Amino acid sequence: MPDGKYPSTPRVDAWDKVRGAAIYAADDARPRMLHGALAVAAVNRGQIVSLDVERARAAPGVRLVLTHQDMQGVQSAGFLLGGGFAFQSFQPMLSPAIHYRGQPIALVVADTVEAAQHAASLVAATYAVEPFQLSLDAPAQDIVAQHGSPLPQATYADKVAGDADGAYAAAAVKVDATYLSPPQHPNPLELLSTVAEWRDGTLIVKEGSQNSGAVRHGLARQLGLDPARVQVLSPQAGGAFGQKNSHQSHTVLAAVAARRLDAPVKLVVSRSQGFHGASFRPASRHRVRLGADRAGRIAAAIHEADQQTSRHDLFPASFTEMTARLYGIRNFRGHERMVRTDVQTPGYMRAPFEHPAGFAFESAMDELAYALDMDPVALRLANDTTVDPLTGRPLSSRHLAECLRRGAERFGWARRSMAPASMVERDGTAIGWGVACGAHKAAASPAAARLEAFADGRIRLAVAGHEMGQGIRTALANVLARRLSVDPRTIEIIVGDTRAADQHLTAGSWGTASATPAADAAGERLIQALRSLDPGYSGGAPAEVLRRAGRASVAVEVATKAPGQPDAVFQRLQGGLPAVQGPEFPDFVSMSYAAHFAEVRVEPRTRRVRVPRIVTVVDCGRVVSPRTAESQVRGAAIWGLGSALREISETDGRYGGFVNADLAEYVVPVHADVPEIDVGFIDEPDPRLNALGVKGLGEVAMTGVAAALANAVHHATGLRIRELPIRLDQLLAAPAARPT
Amino acid sequence: MSDAEGDCGTQGLPHPNRREVIAAGISLPVVAGVASGIAQPASTPAPERIPLRVTINDAPYELSLDPRTSALDMLREQLSLTGAKKGCDHGQCGACTIHVDGRRVVSCLTPALQLEGRQVVTIEGLAPSSGELHPMQQAFIDHDGLQCGYCTPGQIMSAVACVREGHAGSADQIREYMSGNLCRCGAYAGIVAAIQQAAPRMGG
Repeated sequence: MPDGKYPSTPRVDAWDKVRGAAIYAADDARPRMLHGALAVAAVNRGQIVSLDVERARAAPGVRLVLTHQDMQGVQSAGFLLGGGFAFQSFQPMLSPAIHYRGQPIALVVADTVEAAQHAASLVAATYAVEPFQLSLDAPAQDIVAQHGSPLPQATYADKVAGDADGAYAAAAVKVDATYLSPPQHPNPLELLSTVAEWRDGTLIVKEGSQNSGAVRHGLARQLGLDPARVQVLSPQAGGAFGQKNSHQSHTVLAAVAARRLDAPVKLVVSRSQGFHGASFRPASRHRVRLGADRAGRIAAAIHEADQQTSRHDLFPASFTEMTARLYGIRNFRGHERMVRTDVQTPGYMRAPFEHPAGFAFESAMDELAYALDMDPVALRLANDTTVDPLTGRPLSSRHLAECLRRGAERFGWARRSMAPASMVERDGTAIGWGVACGAHKAAASPAAARLEAFADGRIRLAVAGHEMGQGIRTALANVLARRLSVDPRTIEIIVGDTRAADQHLTAGSWGTASATPAADAAGERLIQALRSLDPGYSGGAPAEVLRRAGRASVAVEVATKAPGQPDAVFQRLQGGLPAVQGPEFPDFVSMSYAAHFAEVRVEPRTRRVRVPRIVTVVDCGRVVSPRTAESQVRGAAIWGLGSALREISETDGRYGGFVNADLAEYVVPVHADVPEIDVGFIDEPDPRLNALGVKGLGEVAMTGVAAALANAVHHATGLRIRELPIRLDQLLAAPAARPT
Repeated sequence: MSDAEGDCGTQGLPHPNRREVIAAGISLPVVAGVASGIAQPASTPAPERIPLRVTINDAPYELSLDPRTSALDMLREQLSLTGAKKGCDHGQCGACTIHVDGRRVVSCLTPALQLEGRQVVTIEGLAPSSGELHPMQQAFIDHDGLQCGYCTPGQIMSAVACVREGHAGSADQIREYMSGNLCRCGAYAGIVAAIQQAAPRMGG
């Protein structure tokens, strides 16, 4: 029986990726390929009054211009959270209505990229404009409490345990603070790209996605097609980070154009248009109240939050699902509201709720530590738990205290002096050390897998899952290689292909915990099939067994699901709909955990913040692919750094839209910003969640990093910055640390 | 290190389907108006096409181009050399980095016609042969200097140039001189380690 830690193996698709041979959607380059370009709305809200496309149609090389007048019969794919497939219910170009600046108003298709882009610039529109609002400080009618709303109340009602307000009122030591998290854009480096073509009445779409099943079923709904007539290929996404987790608005436009022109159409959405044409992390504001006794036992926590949504969809928040469970706080009240703004519907950007909630809650924990004059690590250790505070169920595994202890040891936390601005370099540079924790639901989805072994030595696994760079191919190869006792490099992994297996959304850190158990179960079934050919078979290359038996190949299929899920989830899987369980399971609650330790250096005159090092220790259950897992944690630390110190999508209250919509003005971390990042894993399996003991990693590793950095800035300067990103103007308010 | 010679890639084998690809690239402009049922309004003449002679990965090309074409779109859409990626089209991300006469440039900001008479090397031409890897490519695998892989061709082309320029003397110097290449997944630490491994193995 295979068991124990997995070896650190190279990323299985790295050989292709370093040669530029890995194929992304827009890499489909063929002689007959036509190219699309979008023209977009120049106002934030209103109606198109006139749309002049004649100059565009007359431009050289142009084959087709589509507007809302050419889209008869096309429907919305429906909102992901409303039984549909798309990131928003609103499909642009089905009517003259404009709901946000940058919304597509026309698609130009031409022989070349250059001709299409030029012609798109010739599309002219006039509008009847309507007032809009973009602020969290919205009128009352634009604010919707999730509790009591039409949203499923099992998930979105207030999170209540005990009597938080009563316990808070009675607490000896209190913190009451409000924190702001800005809109941000995921900006995967791969632009939103689609190649659509029709062959014998079947629509074939190539698009980097985390949810090829939703793209398939979304297109089928939009175009009135049998889903059997839609194939979606997404062998890899060039980064996704939640922005590619559902059906996009531009995809159907390429499909309609390809049908009209009877030719493949490639539509690459520009970087600037991607800021407006796809989902983003919404702005949110968090009021956190903590009440504790003088020994640091937290008696009450109240977390109230407002989050931006669009006018056409209710995109709810799940901030308090995590903060209610981060510590053993018996009296908790979480309350969330949605604020309607005139934007495209926001969505899930990496650790969509856990990151902003973690910044707020873990900053408040640091404030409480200072109010108590208690070491911030000791405060967290004093509030550990083995029971889920919301349900009273046991936690399937929780090693957060060990993450804190190991992290503190690796970081050298014991050498920290408690007082702010007490650690200063000779040149006046202020040194700050901060700590924060993170948690993230450990969830899982159903998965279907087909495993085939061939007499020529090949082994092929097709499974529900998507490769966005997190390393799911490598994790699958590692698990299957161990199960079959073969070299992982001999296994071909097919993911993100609706022809090969029904595809479920890969997001929410459940990808590996859902796909690898399916692969492992398929491996076990393949061993049984091989034993029926050769009773003596006990692992190793299946090819020899097949050759001896005179068989060209053998194939097995399995379908797996999360603990407690009914068989009905397989219908949802087949229908391209999400079917996710967690963190609550019938007999337990499962979370992943992380502890982060960060050092900042604040330059005495400019107040520039540099980050020399971050230590992160993660409890994600069994680590099935150590090398890619370490990379994912390093990337998550950099995402935390970006969120803490760099990233904000600036909105324009006068004209709408996001004004810094490119990679020069939307500032992301670069090589020169990146610190030494020391990564540790607890690597203890959680066998209650699945046979391999895998929890989730990609998001918990980011959750709390921004708070650790903000807490370090406070330690360096004495300044408590409660609004991200932390910028020089906030820090210049403080007197410079005096050189000693 | 002889950065002027651009020694890596000059022995690169031709792309397998190069002739077909060239033919396809040249024939592109004459296929206008073949789709049935689509009204074609009287159109103004297309921009004059301009000839270009360029050597790419050691193979000579003779092309006829729309002068608006970027080097990146020429490589990708006309020559099917899709290793160089479009991440911004504004010279802000570095995913499209190629070598022109041994120097790294962002191909999205380089008009294709500016390549007249130049020696271009792309990620496809970096390895000494199709079964081998350049030491920098191997180092990226060894240090997992990639995740989604989209920025990787640009990072590797930039990294090779960074070493040849003499800007790989320390981790800090590498970070400074690689900061034009964004990696949104955050594989930066592995990339710097890879460059440190590959630099002494790249020879002179």
